[in-house]
Amino acid sequence: MDPAHIRNFSIIAHIDHGKSTLADRMLECTGSVQKRDMTDRVLDDMELEKERGITIKARAVTIFHEKDGERYMLNLIDTPGHVDFNYEVEKSLQACEGAILLVDASQGVEAQTVANAYLAIEANLEIVPVLNKVDLAHSRPDEIAEEIENSIGVDAADAKRVSAKTGQGVPELLDQIITQIPPPKGDPADPLRALIIDAVYDEYRGIIVYLRIVDGTVNERDTIYMMGTEKVFEAVELGRFSPKMLRTKVLHAGEVGYFISNIKSLGDVRVGDTVVLHKGPKVEMLPGYAPPMHMVYADFYPTASGDFEGLREALTTLTLSDSSLAFEPVTSDALGFGFRCGFLGLLHMEIVQQRLEREHDMDMIQTAPTVTYRVRYADGTEQEIHSPGTLPDPDKFEELLEPIARISMMVPTEFVGVVMQMAVEARGEYVRTEYLSQSRVQLFFDVPLAELIYDFYDKLKSGTKGYGTLNYDVTGYRADKLVKLRILVNGKEVDALSSIIHQDVADRRGRNIIQRLRKDIPRHQFEVPLQAAIGGRIIARETIRAMRKDVTAKCYGGDITRKRKLLEKQKKGKRRMRSIGNVDIPQKAFLSVLGEGEKKK
Amino acid sequence: MDHHQPAPEGTPLYVHLPFCVHLCPYCDFFSVDGKGQDVDGFLDTLLLEAEARAPKAPRTVFFGGGTPTYLSEPQLQRLLLGLDELTGFRASAEEVTVECNPESLTLPKAQLMRSLGVDRLSIGVQSLDPETLAFFERPHGPEQALAAVEATRSAGFERFSIDLIHGSPTEELATTERNLLQLLELRPQHVSAYGLTYEPGTPLHARLEREEFVPQDEDQELANLDSVHRLLEDAGLRGYEVSNYSSIGQECLHNVNYWHNGPYVGIGPSAASHAQGTRSGNPRSIPRWRAAKQADPMAAAFEEHLDPRARLGETWWLGLRLAEGVDPEVARTTAGWVAAEDPAVGEAEALVAEGLLELLAGRYRLTPRARPLADHVGRQFLV
Repeated sequence: MDPAHIRNFSIIAHIDHGKSTLADRMLECTGSVQKRDMTDRVLDDMELEKERGITIKARAVTIFHEKDGERYMLNLIDTPGHVDFNYEVEKSLQACEGAILLVDASQGVEAQTVANAYLAIEANLEIVPVLNKVDLAHSRPDEIAEEIENSIGVDAADAKRVSAKTGQGVPELLDQIITQIPPPKGDPADPLRALIIDAVYDEYRGIIVYLRIVDGTVNERDTIYMMGTEKVFEAVELGRFSPKMLRTKVLHAGEVGYFISNIKSLGDVRVGDTVVLHKGPKVEMLPGYAPPMHMVYADFYPTASGDFEGLREALTTLTLSDSSLAFEPVTSDALGFGFRCGFLGLLHMEIVQQRLEREHDMDMIQTAPTVTYRVRYADGTEQEIHSPGTLPDPDKFEELLEPIARISMMVPTEFVGVVMQMAVEARGEYVRTEYLSQSRVQLFFDVPLAELIYDFYDKLKSGTKGYGTLNYDVTGYRADKLVKLRILVNGKEVDALSSIIHQDVADRRGRNIIQRLRKDIPRHQFEVPLQAAIGGRIIARETIRAMRKDVTAKCYGGDITRKRKLLEKQKKGKRRMRSIGNVDIPQKAFLSVLGEGEKKK
Repeated sequence: MDHHQPAPEGTPLYVHLPFCVHLCPYCDFFSVDGKGQDVDGFLDTLLLEAEARAPKAPRTVFFGGGTPTYLSEPQLQRLLLGLDELTGFRASAEEVTVECNPESLTLPKAQLMRSLGVDRLSIGVQSLDPETLAFFERPHGPEQALAAVEATRSAGFERFSIDLIHGSPTEELATTERNLLQLLELRPQHVSAYGLTYEPGTPLHARLEREEFVPQDEDQELANLDSVHRLLEDAGLRGYEVSNYSSIGQECLHNVNYWHNGPYVGIGPSAASHAQGTRSGNPRSIPRWRAAKQADPMAAAFEEHLDPRARLGETWWLGLRLAEGVDPEVARTTAGWVAAEDPAVGEAEALVAEGLLELLAGRYRLTPRARPLADHVGRQFLV
């Protein structure tokens, strides 16, 4: 199709503000999906996405819409809404010329929406503000339009008012996309340049690569070359998503679609790479995506019965569709061989862990997440520390630095006092306040990232009755009085349980961790002493008493099946634990280093 | 659901009679308040099921509940005569036990049962402490308990057992000991001494969850177990199972068969059956049980088939509850385990190393230290 009749756009929205519903409605009213085929949320095809109601992977879909007698191709590139998936958002935005800024007209602008909107503005995208859920009685479109202007600086006075649920305003919005968002610039006659925006592994078809054609045309049977990985493939099948895969045999400049080759190795495809014709005219590589910044690290170890190579394979498969996940082998004294994984944030970590368990049937132990610290040596050199276990002795380095995040929180005005207090308790430094409307403010603080992942988000949620939202950017590193808190179980130091914390809170955290471990570690046939120590100083201790009574009083003919099943279940629970020395430690104990709020997940 | 298979001649028979005067708050067996129940209709269905399923010439018969003596004399007579007609148990059984509670065990009832082939009574005394009996909501007092034992003797029963529960929050160790000594004056040849447990789903468990009382702590429970064991053994009653004590030769044969992982047939609502690794059970509701049996007396509400490995584990778990312990070769035969390697022996040896089992005359058994840890030990053998 002629690029003048193509529009590429994405939708920026907070969780629950109706993005997937709006996408569904667009598909429906352009006839892309028959109403009877509509399942809730056509775009979210991972089991986990539907369950959690959030969009993890960017998806693309092509719809056709007629305006003034002309037919237009609209490519909707879906974006994840959560702050952890900023990296995915950037990938999606690179392939678009415009973005719909979708805001719930009853809830208002949320911190993550602001962050993603800024990403879109930085990428020179045309922003189309849209107010959703205007059918609800308590919607406040005028006030929310003002919030959009104050927080993002986009004129929202004429923002379209729609209801993704009822479809009200959606056809008009499609018209507006055509008039307001510019068409792609590329020329189909130029030499081919295409951007890899995503890739998924399909059990039957191999690797499916998502492409945005920037310049030129690609045909089936063309031999293509990936400039970054320097690999050559034949385009076996080309097509677009309608939303099911539809073979078109050709893709032109401005279009979004997929190609399938005989790509076997997961390492051959890198999202952000440029695809050109093999032995074609020399062209410049497209600006790739910035490498993802890992904010949180955690280790995965196979359980006693688990297998290391299987875990490696599962992680490798995951990185294909989630290029923001990084991992490397690691060894723990306590847990043996495993992998240290880098994540964009806590939610990202949780999703990866669940995908490993569900999609790859992995049985594993995950250590508590930690941030990347830095040690500065006397000679001025610095070293990154991804795990407390690898921290050198204090006399070996000059300073220990921790990452600082500039957080922005959007909260209803009545919670400002509570939130200020929480931020200060989390060692936060006040930056500034911005008033968005009469009822909502935006607060900025600089907070150590470690405090943020400890339990700050949960506290914010409960402290503001769920209304507060948060976004953060890591802005730099700062030296502080940080110490390594060591945990000893039955006299043996368990590196996977140690953490780096601020000296002022060390005693309290130490006691908390030990008390939680006492509850989480089951009783054994012998006493299990638990100790928390800083250097050689024991700051907290508890003892798990020996199990001395474990017997069923009555066991007769009618009880046997039920009692046996109970014993079997108890035994199975034990198999999921890791044995350190001769103490069995369950998965949840490894997360006891985290705050109380985190553990509830 | 698959069907119960007809059992071979001689298979032990269990008969469940769920009616009670009052439901005890700690009990998690299937029982119902007898008021307004159609007991005669119940017996119709029970005999219908017996006709289809009860084994001929059972070696042992056990009437459990509920409270079997809740039945009136004519009802008991109908049950015992009817069952004898169908199975011939009076001629074949080495042991016929009826569970009874003091409030409903009268001398005429005891005499009737004795005359119709019952040779052993198991009496639910539970405690002689009035406060504890009130906590257990038992409808009888200490005097009634003593009278029931007296009636049992007068009716000519040489064999009887007394049930008792220790570990109630109403008792100090001294109360438990005093009670037990008083009971021992009745010279029972068999005592079942159960530590009180709070089974999920029971009213007592709910009260515990609501923190209406403070349960005994583990130290107290262990002291009870220890003291009860010592007093009973001193009185010449040998602990032959985790909770069961008797003089030599007075063990309950019917129950020992459970711990030998033997076959049995259970009739009545909730009753379970076992044959060669197939375990099955009846519905836990009188109307559902009656409807099912009227449609098909062989029907089962649940059924599971265990492979030889699972049966081996089960045989050890159950067998180690007995003081005699487990002979690995007998366990293999019971379980149908034919492979050269016996995984249970490996487990047993590891437990010997830990001091929880000992090997004596070719049999593995719990060490004294491991008696309160029988579940922990048993768990190691299960799959």
